[in-house]
Amino acid sequence: MDINKIKADALVVGGGIAGMQSALDLADQGYQVVLVEKDPSIGGKMIQLSKVFPTLDCCSCITTPKMSAVANHANIQTLTYCEVQSIDNADGHFVAQILKKPRYVDEDDCTGCRQCEYVCPIDVPSVFDLNMTARRAIRVPFSTAVPQLAVLDIENCILCGKCARACPADAVDFTQTAYEIELEVDAIVLATGFETTPIDAKKEYGAGNLHNVIDGLMMERLLAPTGPYARVLRPGDGKEPESIAYVQCAGSRDETLGVEYCSRVCCMYAIKQAMLIAGALPMADITLYYMDIRAFGKGYDQFYQNAQAMGIEFVKGKVAKITEDENQNPVVRVELIDEGQVVERTHDMIVLSVGMVPQYNPGSVYSVGVGEYGFIKSPAPNISSTETNRSGIFATGAATAPMDIVDSIASASAAASGAAAHLEAVQGGN
Amino acid sequence: MSYKDLSKKEKTQVLKQLREEHADTVKRTQALLKEQNAIRKKIRGALGEESRTVTQVANIVDMPTHEVMWHISAMRKYDLVAEDGMEDFVDVLYKLVEEK
Repeated sequence: MDINKIKADALVVGGGIAGMQSALDLADQGYQVVLVEKDPSIGGKMIQLSKVFPTLDCCSCITTPKMSAVANHANIQTLTYCEVQSIDNADGHFVAQILKKPRYVDEDDCTGCRQCEYVCPIDVPSVFDLNMTARRAIRVPFSTAVPQLAVLDIENCILCGKCARACPADAVDFTQTAYEIELEVDAIVLATGFETTPIDAKKEYGAGNLHNVIDGLMMERLLAPTGPYARVLRPGDGKEPESIAYVQCAGSRDETLGVEYCSRVCCMYAIKQAMLIAGALPMADITLYYMDIRAFGKGYDQFYQNAQAMGIEFVKGKVAKITEDENQNPVVRVELIDEGQVVERTHDMIVLSVGMVPQYNPGSVYSVGVGEYGFIKSPAPNISSTETNRSGIFATGAATAPMDIVDSIASASAAASGAAAHLEAVQGGN
Repeated sequence: MSYKDLSKKEKTQVLKQLREEHADTVKRTQALLKEQNAIRKKIRGALGEESRTVTQVANIVDMPTHEVMWHISAMRKYDLVAEDGMEDFVDVLYKLVEEK
Protein backbone atom coordinates (compact mmCIF):
# COMPACT_ATOMS: atom_id res chain seq x y z
CA MET A 1 0.00 0.00 0.00
CA ASP A 2 1.35 3.45 -0.96
CA ILE A 3 1.81 6.03 1.82
CA ASN A 4 1.57 9.76 1.18
CA LYS A 5 2.83 12.17 3.83
CA ILE A 6 1.25 15.53 4.64
CA LYS A 7 2.10 18.14 7.28
CA ALA A 8 -0.46 20.67 8.47
CA ASP A 9 -1.38 22.61 11.58
CA ALA A 10 -4.74 21.07 12.35
CA LEU A 11 -6.84 18.05 11.48
CA VAL A 12 -10.61 18.42 11.51
CA VAL A 13 -12.46 15.10 11.54
CA GLY A 14 -15.95 15.31 10.04
CA GLY A 15 -17.26 17.41 7.19
CA GLY A 16 -20.66 18.34 8.58
CA ILE A 17 -21.64 21.86 9.53
CA ALA A 18 -19.55 21.84 12.74
CA GLY A 19 -16.44 20.43 11.08
CA MET A 20 -16.71 22.83 8.15
CA GLN A 21 -17.10 25.82 10.49
CA SER A 22 -14.08 24.79 12.61
CA ALA A 23 -11.99 24.26 9.49
CA LEU A 24 -12.98 27.64 8.04
CA ASP A 25 -12.31 29.49 11.32
CA LEU A 26 -8.85 27.95 11.65
CA ALA A 27 -8.03 28.47 7.98
CA ASP A 28 -9.13 32.10 8.11
CA GLN A 29 -6.57 32.60 10.88
CA GLY A 30 -3.84 31.35 8.56
CA TYR A 31 -3.54 27.80 9.84
CA GLN A 32 -3.15 24.93 7.41
CA VAL A 33 -6.08 22.57 7.91
CA VAL A 34 -6.79 19.07 6.67
CA LEU A 35 -10.47 18.13 6.83
CA VAL A 36 -11.18 14.40 6.72
CA GLU A 37 -14.64 13.14 5.81
CA LYS A 38 -15.61 9.45 5.73
CA ASP A 39 -18.31 9.94 3.07
CA PRO A 40 -17.66 10.82 -0.60
CA SER A 41 -18.95 14.38 -0.04
CA ILE A 42 -18.81 16.92 2.75
CA GLY A 43 -22.07 18.43 4.01
CA GLY A 44 -23.03 16.03 6.77
CA LYS A 45 -26.62 15.71 7.98
CA MET A 46 -27.42 19.38 7.34
CA ILE A 47 -27.31 19.03 3.56
CA GLN A 48 -30.11 16.44 3.83
CA LEU A 49 -32.45 18.86 5.61
CA SER A 50 -35.14 21.02 4.02
CA LYS A 51 -35.19 24.25 6.03
CA VAL A 52 -33.85 25.47 9.37
CA PHE A 53 -35.85 26.65 12.38
CA PRO A 54 -36.91 29.24 13.40
CA THR A 55 -36.15 31.32 10.30
CA LEU A 56 -37.24 28.72 7.72
CA ASP A 57 -34.18 29.51 5.63
CA CYS A 58 -33.31 26.93 3.00
CA CYS A 59 -30.72 24.49 4.39
CA SER A 60 -29.01 23.99 1.06
CA CYS A 61 -28.66 27.75 0.69
CA ILE A 62 -26.71 27.88 3.95
CA THR A 63 -24.75 24.66 3.65
CA THR A 64 -23.72 24.71 0.00
CA PRO A 65 -21.76 28.01 0.19
CA LYS A 66 -19.96 26.67 3.28
CA MET A 67 -19.11 23.46 1.42
CA SER A 68 -17.84 25.49 -1.48
CA ALA A 69 -15.84 27.78 0.82
CA VAL A 70 -14.17 24.76 2.42
CA ALA A 71 -13.38 23.18 -0.95
CA ASN A 72 -11.90 26.38 -2.35
CA HIS A 73 -10.07 27.73 0.72
CA ALA A 74 -6.34 27.99 0.08
CA ASN A 75 -5.56 26.79 3.61
CA ILE A 76 -7.87 23.77 3.65
CA GLN A 77 -7.15 20.41 2.11
CA THR A 78 -10.28 18.26 2.02
CA LEU A 79 -9.87 14.50 2.08
CA THR A 80 -13.21 12.85 1.33
CA TYR A 81 -13.92 9.14 1.43
CA CYS A 82 -11.17 8.80 4.04
CA GLU A 83 -11.07 7.40 7.53
CA VAL A 84 -8.64 8.09 10.36
CA GLN A 85 -7.25 4.73 11.43
CA SER A 86 -4.97 5.73 14.29
CA ILE A 87 -3.43 8.69 16.08
CA ASP A 88 0.05 8.56 17.62
CA ASN A 89 2.20 11.10 19.38
CA ALA A 90 5.62 11.72 17.85
CA ASP A 91 8.03 14.53 18.86
CA GLY A 92 5.16 16.54 20.35
CA HIS A 93 3.01 16.23 17.21
CA PHE A 94 0.01 14.09 16.40
CA VAL A 95 0.60 11.62 13.59
CA ALA A 96 -2.62 10.38 11.99
CA GLN A 97 -2.81 7.35 9.72
CA ILE A 98 -5.62 7.98 7.26
CA LEU A 99 -7.07 5.41 4.89
CA LYS A 100 -8.11 6.78 1.51
CA LYS A 101 -10.76 4.45 0.13
CA PRO A 102 -10.83 3.92 -3.64
CA ARG A 103 -13.53 5.83 -5.54
CA TYR A 104 -12.69 3.91 -8.71
CA VAL A 105 -12.96 7.32 -10.36
CA ASP A 106 -10.06 9.63 -11.12
CA GLU A 107 -10.63 12.75 -9.02
CA ASP A 108 -8.73 14.94 -11.48
CA ASP A 109 -10.60 13.75 -14.56
CA CYS A 110 -14.21 13.30 -13.37
CA THR A 111 -16.48 16.23 -14.24
CA GLY A 112 -19.51 15.01 -12.27
CA CYS A 113 -21.61 14.74 -15.46
CA ARG A 114 -23.39 11.61 -14.12
CA GLN A 115 -23.34 9.81 -17.48
CA CYS A 116 -21.83 6.80 -15.68
CA GLU A 117 -24.74 6.88 -13.22
CA TYR A 118 -27.36 6.89 -15.95
CA VAL A 119 -25.97 3.79 -17.69
CA CYS A 120 -25.31 1.82 -14.49
CA PRO A 121 -27.85 -1.03 -14.34
CA ILE A 122 -27.81 -1.56 -10.55
CA ASP A 123 -30.24 0.22 -8.23
CA VAL A 124 -29.68 -0.09 -4.49
CA PRO A 125 -31.36 1.75 -1.61
CA SER A 126 -30.17 5.35 -1.29
CA VAL A 127 -28.93 5.99 2.23
CA PHE A 128 -28.95 9.74 1.51
CA ASP A 129 -32.72 9.48 0.98
CA LEU A 130 -33.18 7.13 3.93
CA ASN A 131 -33.79 4.18 1.57
CA MET A 132 -36.99 5.74 0.20
CA THR A 133 -35.60 5.64 -3.32
CA ALA A 134 -32.64 4.16 -5.15
CA ARG A 135 -29.17 5.15 -6.14
CA ARG A 136 -26.90 3.53 -8.67
CA ALA A 137 -23.78 1.50 -7.87
CA ILE A 138 -21.80 4.36 -9.41
CA ARG A 139 -23.18 7.80 -8.68
CA VAL A 140 -22.51 11.39 -7.73
CA PRO A 141 -23.61 11.28 -4.06
CA PHE A 142 -26.19 14.10 -4.41
CA SER A 143 -26.81 17.07 -6.66
CA THR A 144 -24.79 19.60 -4.63
CA ALA A 145 -22.07 17.19 -3.52
CA VAL A 146 -18.63 18.65 -2.86
CA PRO A 147 -16.52 17.45 -4.49
CA GLN A 148 -18.84 16.90 -7.45
CA LEU A 149 -17.31 13.55 -8.29
CA ALA A 150 -18.70 10.10 -8.92
CA VAL A 151 -17.96 7.21 -6.60
CA LEU A 152 -18.31 3.53 -7.38
CA ASP A 153 -19.65 1.21 -4.69
CA ILE A 154 -17.69 -1.94 -5.46
CA GLU A 155 -19.83 -3.93 -2.99
CA ASN A 156 -22.88 -3.44 -5.21
CA CYS A 157 -21.23 -3.54 -8.64
CA ILE A 158 -21.46 -6.31 -11.24
CA LEU A 159 -18.28 -4.97 -12.87
CA CYS A 160 -19.89 -4.79 -16.28
CA GLY A 161 -17.74 -1.81 -17.33
CA LYS A 162 -20.68 0.15 -18.81
CA CYS A 163 -19.76 3.20 -16.70
CA ALA A 164 -16.20 3.24 -18.02
CA ARG A 165 -17.42 3.05 -21.61
CA ALA A 166 -19.97 5.83 -21.05
CA CYS A 167 -17.57 8.23 -19.32
CA PRO A 168 -16.60 11.03 -21.74
CA ALA A 169 -13.60 11.92 -19.56
CA ASP A 170 -12.21 8.39 -19.23
CA ALA A 171 -12.33 8.93 -15.49
CA VAL A 172 -13.54 5.52 -14.29
CA ASP A 173 -10.50 3.71 -12.95
CA PHE A 174 -10.86 0.05 -11.96
CA THR A 175 -7.17 -0.11 -11.02
CA GLN A 176 -7.57 2.10 -7.96
CA THR A 177 -6.82 0.63 -4.56
CA ALA A 178 -6.92 1.99 -1.02
CA TYR A 179 -3.85 3.82 0.19
CA GLU A 180 -2.63 5.38 3.40
CA ILE A 181 -1.92 9.01 4.13
CA GLU A 182 0.29 9.94 7.05
CA LEU A 183 -0.67 13.31 8.44
CA GLU A 184 1.34 15.28 11.01
CA VAL A 185 -0.55 18.00 12.90
CA ASP A 186 -0.44 19.86 16.20
CA ALA A 187 -4.16 20.05 16.92
CA ILE A 188 -7.23 17.95 16.20
CA VAL A 189 -10.90 18.93 16.18
CA LEU A 190 -13.39 16.07 16.35
CA ALA A 191 -16.69 16.89 14.66
CA THR A 192 -17.99 13.39 14.13
CA GLY A 193 -21.65 14.26 14.47
CA PHE A 194 -24.68 12.19 15.36
CA GLU A 195 -27.07 9.53 14.20
CA THR A 196 -30.78 9.48 14.86
CA THR A 197 -32.22 6.80 17.10
CA PRO A 198 -33.23 3.90 14.84
CA ILE A 199 -36.78 3.90 13.52
CA ASP A 200 -37.07 0.18 14.28
CA ALA A 201 -35.99 0.54 17.90
CA LYS A 202 -39.46 0.49 19.45
CA LYS A 203 -41.69 -2.50 18.83
CA GLU A 204 -44.61 -0.48 20.26
CA TYR A 205 -44.23 1.86 17.28
CA GLY A 206 -44.16 -0.90 14.70
CA ALA A 207 -40.44 -1.72 14.83
CA GLY A 208 -39.90 -0.17 11.41
CA ASN A 209 -42.42 -2.51 9.74
CA LEU A 210 -45.18 0.05 9.20
CA HIS A 211 -44.45 1.69 5.87
CA ASN A 212 -46.37 4.89 6.57
CA VAL A 213 -44.61 5.45 9.89
CA ILE A 214 -41.45 7.38 9.11
CA ASP A 215 -38.94 9.36 11.14
CA GLY A 216 -38.08 13.06 11.23
CA LEU A 217 -35.10 12.77 8.90
CA MET A 218 -37.22 10.93 6.32
CA MET A 219 -39.76 13.76 6.47
CA GLU A 220 -36.90 16.24 5.95
CA ARG A 221 -36.07 14.44 2.72
CA LEU A 222 -39.74 14.39 1.65
CA LEU A 223 -39.94 18.15 2.23
CA ALA A 224 -36.64 18.92 0.50
CA PRO A 225 -36.87 20.04 -3.16
CA THR A 226 -34.38 17.30 -4.04
CA GLY A 227 -36.32 14.66 -2.09
CA PRO A 228 -37.11 11.14 -3.28
CA TYR A 229 -40.62 11.89 -4.55
CA ALA A 230 -40.27 15.67 -5.06
CA ARG A 231 -43.37 16.03 -2.86
CA VAL A 232 -44.77 14.65 0.39
CA LEU A 233 -46.18 11.19 -0.31
CA ARG A 234 -46.66 8.07 1.75
CA PRO A 235 -43.78 5.62 1.17
CA GLY A 236 -46.25 2.79 1.71
CA ASP A 237 -48.38 3.43 -1.36
CA GLY A 238 -47.57 6.82 -2.88
CA LYS A 239 -50.76 8.52 -1.73
CA GLU A 240 -50.74 12.12 -0.63
CA PRO A 241 -51.46 12.15 3.13
CA GLU A 242 -54.41 14.18 4.38
CA SER A 243 -53.75 13.61 8.06
CA ILE A 244 -50.21 13.59 9.48
CA ALA A 245 -49.29 13.15 13.12
CA TYR A 246 -46.01 13.60 14.97
CA VAL A 247 -45.11 11.44 17.91
CA GLN A 248 -42.73 13.37 20.14
CA CYS A 249 -40.03 11.81 22.32
CA ALA A 250 -40.09 8.74 20.05
CA GLY A 251 -36.37 8.17 20.56
CA SER A 252 -35.46 10.33 23.53
CA ARG A 253 -36.36 10.49 27.22
CA ASP A 254 -36.84 6.75 26.99
CA GLU A 255 -35.14 4.41 29.44
CA THR A 256 -36.08 1.36 27.36
CA LEU A 257 -33.89 2.67 24.52
CA GLY A 258 -31.05 3.72 26.81
CA VAL A 259 -31.65 7.29 25.65
CA GLU A 260 -32.80 8.92 28.84
CA TYR A 261 -31.85 12.46 27.84
CA CYS A 262 -33.80 15.06 25.87
CA SER A 263 -32.35 15.43 22.34
CA ARG A 264 -33.19 19.16 22.36
CA VAL A 265 -34.01 19.46 18.65
CA CYS A 266 -37.05 17.19 18.19
CA CYS A 267 -39.75 19.62 19.38
CA MET A 268 -38.45 22.34 17.13
CA TYR A 269 -37.87 20.23 14.03
CA ALA A 270 -41.33 18.71 14.41
CA ILE A 271 -42.91 22.17 14.66
CA LYS A 272 -40.86 23.36 11.68
CA GLN A 273 -41.86 20.35 9.58
CA ALA A 274 -45.51 20.77 10.60
CA MET A 275 -45.41 24.36 9.35
CA LEU A 276 -43.73 23.29 6.09
CA ILE A 277 -46.32 20.54 5.56
CA ALA A 278 -49.07 23.09 6.17
CA GLY A 279 -47.57 25.02 3.26
CA ALA A 280 -47.02 21.98 1.01
CA LEU A 281 -50.36 20.30 1.77
CA PRO A 282 -52.73 23.11 2.81
CA MET A 283 -55.71 20.76 3.25
CA ALA A 284 -53.86 18.34 5.54
CA ASP A 285 -54.63 18.02 9.25
CA ILE A 286 -51.45 18.07 11.30
CA THR A 287 -51.28 16.88 14.90
CA LEU A 288 -48.40 16.76 17.39
CA TYR A 289 -48.65 14.33 20.31
CA TYR A 290 -46.25 15.64 22.95
CA MET A 291 -45.34 15.33 26.61
CA ASP A 292 -44.09 18.92 26.83
CA ILE A 293 -42.80 21.34 24.22
CA ARG A 294 -39.24 22.50 24.77
CA ALA A 295 -38.85 25.69 22.75
CA PHE A 296 -35.76 26.99 24.52
CA GLY A 297 -33.86 29.11 21.97
CA LYS A 298 -34.08 32.64 20.69
CA GLY A 299 -37.32 33.06 18.76
CA TYR A 300 -38.29 29.43 19.33
CA ASP A 301 -41.33 30.04 21.53
CA GLN A 302 -42.68 32.58 19.05
CA PHE A 303 -42.19 29.94 16.36
CA TYR A 304 -44.24 27.48 18.42
CA GLN A 305 -46.99 30.07 18.87
CA ASN A 306 -47.00 30.74 15.12
CA ALA A 307 -47.52 27.02 14.50
CA GLN A 308 -50.49 26.99 16.88
CA ALA A 309 -51.92 30.03 15.10
CA MET A 310 -51.59 28.20 11.78
CA GLY A 311 -54.01 25.56 13.03
CA ILE A 312 -51.57 22.78 13.86
CA GLU A 313 -53.14 20.71 16.63
CA PHE A 314 -50.98 20.15 19.72
CA VAL A 315 -52.25 17.26 21.82
CA LYS A 316 -50.72 16.67 25.24
CA GLY A 317 -50.42 12.92 25.42
CA LYS A 318 -48.01 10.03 25.26
CA VAL A 319 -48.47 7.62 22.38
CA ALA A 320 -48.38 4.09 23.76
CA LYS A 321 -48.73 2.11 20.57
CA ILE A 322 -48.95 2.43 16.80
CA THR A 323 -50.65 -0.20 14.67
CA GLU A 324 -52.04 -0.10 11.14
CA ASP A 325 -55.48 -0.65 9.63
CA GLU A 326 -56.30 -2.58 6.45
CA ASN A 327 -55.51 0.49 4.29
CA GLN A 328 -52.02 0.88 5.77
CA ASN A 329 -53.21 3.87 7.81
CA PRO A 330 -51.34 4.14 11.11
CA VAL A 331 -53.53 4.03 14.22
CA VAL A 332 -52.18 5.63 17.40
CA ARG A 333 -53.27 4.63 20.87
CA VAL A 334 -52.69 7.67 23.01
CA GLU A 335 -53.40 8.76 26.54
CA LEU A 336 -54.85 12.28 26.41
CA ILE A 337 -53.43 13.80 29.55
CA ASP A 338 -55.75 16.81 29.79
CA GLU A 339 -58.89 14.70 29.22
CA GLY A 340 -57.65 11.74 31.26
CA GLN A 341 -58.70 9.16 28.68
CA VAL A 342 -57.12 6.71 26.28
CA VAL A 343 -58.21 6.98 22.65
CA GLU A 344 -57.31 5.52 19.27
CA ARG A 345 -56.92 7.85 16.32
CA THR A 346 -56.23 7.01 12.69
CA HIS A 347 -53.91 9.11 10.54
CA ASP A 348 -52.56 8.73 7.01
CA MET A 349 -48.97 9.07 8.09
CA ILE A 350 -47.00 9.19 11.35
CA VAL A 351 -43.67 10.90 11.86
CA LEU A 352 -41.61 9.68 14.80
CA SER A 353 -39.60 12.52 16.30
CA VAL A 354 -36.51 10.43 16.86
CA GLY A 355 -33.62 11.67 18.96
CA MET A 356 -29.88 12.02 18.60
CA VAL A 357 -27.20 9.49 19.51
CA PRO A 358 -23.46 9.71 18.84
CA GLN A 359 -22.42 8.54 15.40
CA TYR A 360 -18.96 7.37 16.32
CA ASN A 361 -17.09 6.15 19.36
CA PRO A 362 -13.74 7.97 19.31
CA GLY A 363 -12.30 5.99 22.23
CA SER A 364 -10.03 3.53 20.45
CA VAL A 365 -8.55 5.88 17.84
CA TYR A 366 -8.34 9.19 19.72
CA SER A 367 -8.29 8.01 23.37
CA VAL A 368 -10.65 10.78 24.43
CA GLY A 369 -13.17 10.28 27.18
CA VAL A 370 -16.83 9.76 26.48
CA GLY A 371 -19.75 10.24 28.83
CA GLU A 372 -22.49 7.88 29.92
CA TYR A 373 -24.35 8.08 26.61
CA GLY A 374 -21.30 7.96 24.34
CA PHE A 375 -20.93 11.65 23.53
CA ILE A 376 -17.38 13.04 23.80
CA LYS A 377 -16.88 14.37 27.31
CA SER A 378 -15.20 17.57 28.35
CA PRO A 379 -13.35 17.54 31.69
CA ALA A 380 -14.73 21.07 32.30
CA PRO A 381 -18.08 21.17 30.49
CA ASN A 382 -19.26 24.42 32.10
CA ILE A 383 -16.23 26.53 31.25
CA SER A 384 -14.62 24.81 28.28
CA SER A 385 -17.11 22.53 26.59
CA THR A 386 -14.97 21.78 23.52
CA GLU A 387 -11.89 20.52 25.39
CA THR A 388 -11.26 16.81 25.79
CA ASN A 389 -9.11 14.96 28.27
CA ARG A 390 -6.24 15.01 25.72
CA SER A 391 -4.35 18.25 25.28
CA GLY A 392 -4.57 19.41 21.67
CA ILE A 393 -7.70 17.40 20.85
CA PHE A 394 -10.97 19.34 20.82
CA ALA A 395 -14.52 18.20 20.16
CA THR A 396 -17.47 20.06 18.77
CA GLY A 397 -21.05 19.89 17.60
CA ALA A 398 -23.35 16.94 18.10
CA ALA A 399 -20.35 14.68 18.78
CA THR A 400 -20.31 16.27 22.27
CA ALA A 401 -24.04 16.46 23.02
CA PRO A 402 -27.37 16.77 21.24
CA MET A 403 -27.59 20.29 19.81
CA ASP A 404 -29.18 22.21 16.99
CA ILE A 405 -27.47 23.86 14.02
CA VAL A 406 -27.11 27.27 15.68
CA ASP A 407 -25.41 25.76 18.73
CA SER A 408 -23.27 23.44 16.57
CA ILE A 409 -21.88 26.41 14.66
CA ALA A 410 -21.17 28.33 17.90
CA SER A 411 -19.53 25.22 19.36
CA ALA A 412 -17.45 24.78 16.18
CA SER A 413 -16.09 28.30 16.44
CA ALA A 414 -15.31 27.70 20.12
CA ALA A 415 -13.41 24.52 19.23
CA ALA A 416 -11.50 26.38 16.51
CA SER A 417 -10.59 29.10 19.04
CA GLY A 418 -9.38 26.47 21.46
CA ALA A 419 -7.36 24.76 18.75
CA ALA A 420 -5.88 28.09 17.60
CA ALA A 421 -4.85 28.96 21.17
CA HIS A 422 -3.25 25.53 21.48
CA LEU A 423 -1.41 25.96 18.18
CA GLU A 424 -0.19 29.38 19.30
CA ALA A 425 1.14 27.82 22.50
CA VAL A 426 2.90 24.81 20.93
CA GLN A 427 4.14 26.50 17.76
CA GLY A 428 5.05 29.85 19.32
CA GLY A 429 3.18 32.06 16.86
CA ASN A 430 1.50 31.49 13.54
CA MET B 1 -0.66 3.14 -14.78
CA SER B 2 -4.33 4.15 -14.56
CA TYR B 3 -7.21 2.35 -16.25
CA LYS B 4 -7.57 4.88 -19.06
CA ASP B 5 -3.99 4.28 -20.18
CA LEU B 6 -4.52 0.55 -20.61
CA SER B 7 -5.23 -1.17 -23.90
CA LYS B 8 -8.67 -2.67 -24.50
CA LYS B 9 -7.25 -6.12 -23.81
CA GLU B 10 -5.64 -4.98 -20.57
CA LYS B 11 -8.88 -3.30 -19.44
CA THR B 12 -10.74 -6.56 -19.99
CA GLN B 13 -8.08 -8.34 -17.96
CA VAL B 14 -8.38 -5.84 -15.08
CA LEU B 15 -12.17 -6.26 -14.97
CA LYS B 16 -11.82 -10.04 -15.14
CA GLN B 17 -9.39 -10.01 -12.24
CA LEU B 18 -11.66 -7.73 -10.19
CA ARG B 19 -14.60 -10.03 -10.89
CA GLU B 20 -12.57 -12.94 -9.53
CA GLU B 21 -11.56 -10.98 -6.43
CA HIS B 22 -15.17 -9.90 -5.82
CA ALA B 23 -16.81 -13.13 -6.98
CA ASP B 24 -19.37 -13.25 -4.16
CA THR B 25 -20.36 -9.60 -4.70
CA VAL B 26 -20.73 -10.09 -8.44
CA LYS B 27 -22.85 -13.19 -7.93
CA ARG B 28 -25.10 -11.39 -5.43
CA THR B 29 -25.48 -8.26 -7.53
CA GLN B 30 -26.13 -10.26 -10.72
CA ALA B 31 -28.97 -12.02 -8.91
CA LEU B 32 -30.25 -8.63 -7.71
CA LEU B 33 -30.07 -7.26 -11.24
CA LYS B 34 -31.97 -10.22 -12.64
CA GLU B 35 -34.71 -9.80 -10.04
CA GLN B 36 -34.79 -6.03 -10.58
CA ASN B 37 -35.05 -6.35 -14.35
CA ALA B 38 -37.97 -8.77 -14.02
CA ILE B 39 -39.82 -6.37 -11.69
CA ARG B 40 -39.11 -3.35 -13.89
CA LYS B 41 -40.37 -5.24 -16.94
CA LYS B 42 -43.66 -5.92 -15.16
CA ILE B 43 -43.97 -2.31 -13.99
CA ARG B 44 -43.19 -1.00 -17.48
CA GLY B 45 -45.85 -3.38 -18.79
CA ALA B 46 -48.41 -2.04 -16.32
CA LEU B 47 -47.59 1.56 -17.18
CA GLY B 48 -47.35 0.90 -20.90
CA GLU B 49 -51.10 0.84 -21.39
CA GLU B 50 -52.04 3.99 -19.48
CA SER B 51 -51.01 6.20 -16.57
CA ARG B 52 -51.57 4.47 -13.26
CA THR B 53 -51.21 4.99 -9.52
CA VAL B 54 -48.85 2.95 -7.35
CA THR B 55 -51.79 0.95 -5.98
CA GLN B 56 -53.07 0.17 -9.48
CA VAL B 57 -49.61 -0.95 -10.61
CA ALA B 58 -49.20 -3.05 -7.46
CA ASN B 59 -52.50 -4.81 -8.18
CA ILE B 60 -51.46 -5.57 -11.76
CA VAL B 61 -47.97 -6.83 -10.97
CA ASP B 62 -49.06 -8.50 -7.71
CA MET B 63 -46.51 -6.87 -5.49
CA PRO B 64 -46.75 -4.94 -2.19
CA THR B 65 -47.47 -1.24 -2.76
CA HIS B 66 -44.37 -0.08 -0.82
CA GLU B 67 -42.10 -2.12 -3.09
CA VAL B 68 -43.77 -0.73 -6.21
CA MET B 69 -43.42 2.77 -4.75
CA TRP B 70 -39.69 2.22 -4.30
CA HIS B 71 -39.22 1.01 -7.86
CA ILE B 72 -41.32 3.80 -9.35
CA SER B 73 -39.43 6.45 -7.37
CA ALA B 74 -36.16 4.95 -8.60
CA MET B 75 -37.43 4.94 -12.20
CA ARG B 76 -38.63 8.52 -11.78
CA LYS B 77 -35.23 9.58 -10.45
CA TYR B 78 -33.53 8.26 -13.58
CA ASP B 79 -36.14 9.70 -15.98
CA LEU B 80 -37.76 6.39 -16.92
CA VAL B 81 -41.10 7.34 -15.38
CA ALA B 82 -42.80 10.72 -14.93
CA GLU B 83 -45.78 12.04 -13.01
CA ASP B 84 -48.97 12.46 -15.04
CA GLY B 85 -51.41 14.27 -12.77
CA MET B 86 -53.45 13.04 -9.83
CA GLU B 87 -56.36 10.69 -9.36
CA ASP B 88 -59.01 11.64 -6.77
CA PHE B 89 -56.69 14.43 -5.57
CA VAL B 90 -54.60 12.02 -3.44
CA ASP B 91 -53.03 9.49 -5.78
CA VAL B 92 -50.19 10.45 -8.12
CA LEU B 93 -50.46 8.96 -11.61
CA TYR B 94 -47.27 7.80 -13.28
CA LYS B 95 -46.51 7.26 -16.94
CA LEU B 96 -43.59 5.81 -18.84
CA VAL B 97 -41.14 8.24 -20.36
CA GLU B 98 -40.45 7.51 -23.98
CA GLU B 99 -36.83 6.55 -24.56
CA LYS B 100 -34.85 9.12 -26.52
